[in-house]
Amino acid sequence: MFKAMLIKEFLLVSRDKHALAALFIMPAVFILIMSLALKDVFNEDKALIEYAVIDQDKSLESYSVVSKLRVNKMMNEHNISTPFGKPKEEGVQFIVVIPKGFKSQFTQSDANHSALQIEVASDIGQSHLMLFKTQILSSVMQTRLDAINLAQEMQASRSGDTKKPQKIVFDEKKMMKIHYAALDEGEKPTSTQQSVPSWIVFGLFFVIIPMSTIFISERKQNTLMRLSTMNVSLPVLFGGKIIPYMLINQLQVWVMIAVGMFVVPLFGAAALTIGGDISALVAVSLALSLSAIGLSILIAVVVDSVEQATTIGGIINILLGAIGGIMVPKFVMPEFMRDFANVSPMSWGLEGFLDVFLRRGTLSDVMYEVTGLALFGLVSLLIAAVIFNYKIRRVA
Amino acid sequence: MIKIEGLYKTYGEKTALNGLSLEIKEGTIFGLLGPNGAGKTTLISILNGLTQFNRGKVTVFGLPLQENIQAIRKRCALIPQTLAFYENLTVIENLNFFGGIQNIEANTLKKNITYAVETNRLGSMLKQKASTLSGGQKRRLNIAIGLLNNPDILFFDEPTVGIDPESRNEILETILSFKKANKTVVYTSHYMPEIEKICDEVAIINAGEIIKQGSIESMLSSDDVSEVIIEIRETPTVELERCLDKYSNISIVDESTLMLDTKASSAVAEILTLLEKSDIAVRNVRYGTTTLESLFIALTSKGRADV
Repeated sequence: MFKAMLIKEFLLVSRDKHALAALFIMPAVFILIMSLALKDVFNEDKALIEYAVIDQDKSLESYSVVSKLRVNKMMNEHNISTPFGKPKEEGVQFIVVIPKGFKSQFTQSDANHSALQIEVASDIGQSHLMLFKTQILSSVMQTRLDAINLAQEMQASRSGDTKKPQKIVFDEKKMMKIHYAALDEGEKPTSTQQSVPSWIVFGLFFVIIPMSTIFISERKQNTLMRLSTMNVSLPVLFGGKIIPYMLINQLQVWVMIAVGMFVVPLFGAAALTIGGDISALVAVSLALSLSAIGLSILIAVVVDSVEQATTIGGIINILLGAIGGIMVPKFVMPEFMRDFANVSPMSWGLEGFLDVFLRRGTLSDVMYEVTGLALFGLVSLLIAAVIFNYKIRRVA
Repeated sequence: MIKIEGLYKTYGEKTALNGLSLEIKEGTIFGLLGPNGAGKTTLISILNGLTQFNRGKVTVFGLPLQENIQAIRKRCALIPQTLAFYENLTVIENLNFFGGIQNIEANTLKKNITYAVETNRLGSMLKQKASTLSGGQKRRLNIAIGLLNNPDILFFDEPTVGIDPESRNEILETILSFKKANKTVVYTSHYMPEIEKICDEVAIINAGEIIKQGSIESMLSSDDVSEVIIEIRETPTVELERCLDKYSNISIVDESTLMLDTKASSAVAEILTLLEKSDIAVRNVRYGTTTLESLFIALTSKGRADV
């Protein structure tokens, strides 16, 4: 009896294409994506840090620091296009400005020298910043040691010189000033600020499951066919779905923001704040919603059953999240994966939300992402309309 | 009311309708019979503007179908075999939705909803969720939705599938009531007794062609079948069984009807002689069959539907 039960279960699972996809293909693809995304994290030969340097001091010492950074395999230097660029615009995580007077710390005893100014992209995590600061410190210390050695050698060669080597005060805290792009002086992004946008994006795309499930039930029950015989056009049919789900998505966004603002602090974490324009936030969430709904309808018209929609919708959601930088921050991904991330609308949505939450973005700052998301949604809807039209006529 | 001439429809290599011609008169209940894949659903889909056809001419209410589909749809309703409504909405919410989507003027819609509810005896369950209705009640709601635009033509696609006999009879009575309201009904079903009960006229479709059309009476008298009906004086079945015991090609339909499953004149003559010898008076002999089902099987088994 038990043997028969086992055989039956194996047969059922082995013949369920969607269960097999969820059990084997999805984890395999997920492993592939995550491995590629994290490929350089534990690779000592690959750069983890993308940075640019603006050397205003143009001294031997500043050149020495820059050279030492340059040979560090963990770091990848970019040429900067403008001296006033922002890290995101320049495609780097950090911009180091070596100010005029930087070299004085190596030759004078007072600590009133010009500090290195480090502009940090707002979405960079604390651990990544610490790593970068350590590399900078190491390079400066190395330069400092070189200077001391040189001074001692010179002193030794001039043995008759009774002058004592100058005592140099070295204050690490005064050595660099950190500033997060788009934030006020001394202000830091919080983990809430950095993580909530990801989960808002991820949450919005879960609309795929209820929406496609209802749509497929309507299709299976011939309710959609009945509506067609009642002269309900495709734009009315799709519009009747898009608008309610857009409103639901907006509600989702504000509920999640409210949780970040009011619930998260109750558990000791920093509260979420909306740094940018509300209009930018609304534009991003509407465009993101359109792309999620477009994808939902496309899935709903392509698959044949509710079970398929739930499985495939869930898989697509997770994979788009993995590709789009929801699960792994894009700044730790290798360059080709960062480029590849752009195939996921979640990536654009995330950038849009980061612009609003972290970079104090305005409507014009998010227009690129908003346009991309809206286009993705519209193209998905167009493809869905063509397939739907074909299918309903074929079924009829 | 509906006139179809030389209608062709192909799906790739497959021919669904092969020069089909048909006329359905106003106020009739018209049965469309055919085996699975015969082309019934394609025909109903074409008449509802859901599928385009390749060739032929279709007019409904005297209007060419393709050019006037929107106007024609406003006067028609398709009641699908599936329960095409929202299970999570109440009965009245479903009626309001399907009425509202058709842009029917508010007062007219109110009247039509009342008519649909009364005709289908849904008054006591308006606030019930559709999912909580019985199978028969769901079927009635499915029909009620089709009445919201007060259509002149109703297309029923097997509306009694999977329901109990009592509910089936209720639905058939409802459909018969449409005839009184001078509505035209196009009815497809696999239940031949239903067709016999409610339809004025029937067309049998096979492999995309109409192979027989007419009133039930005329069809049962058809000479297309290899059966002979012998009407006799009412005689007890026991007596008939004793008399016909040796003959395997004759069956007793009832106390006054016998059916011979061959048209061979020698066999007919042999049976008539036997009946005369047994003093059972013969009143009528005709080629044909006694039930629509046997006619249907006889006609459709001649060529297997290829679509």
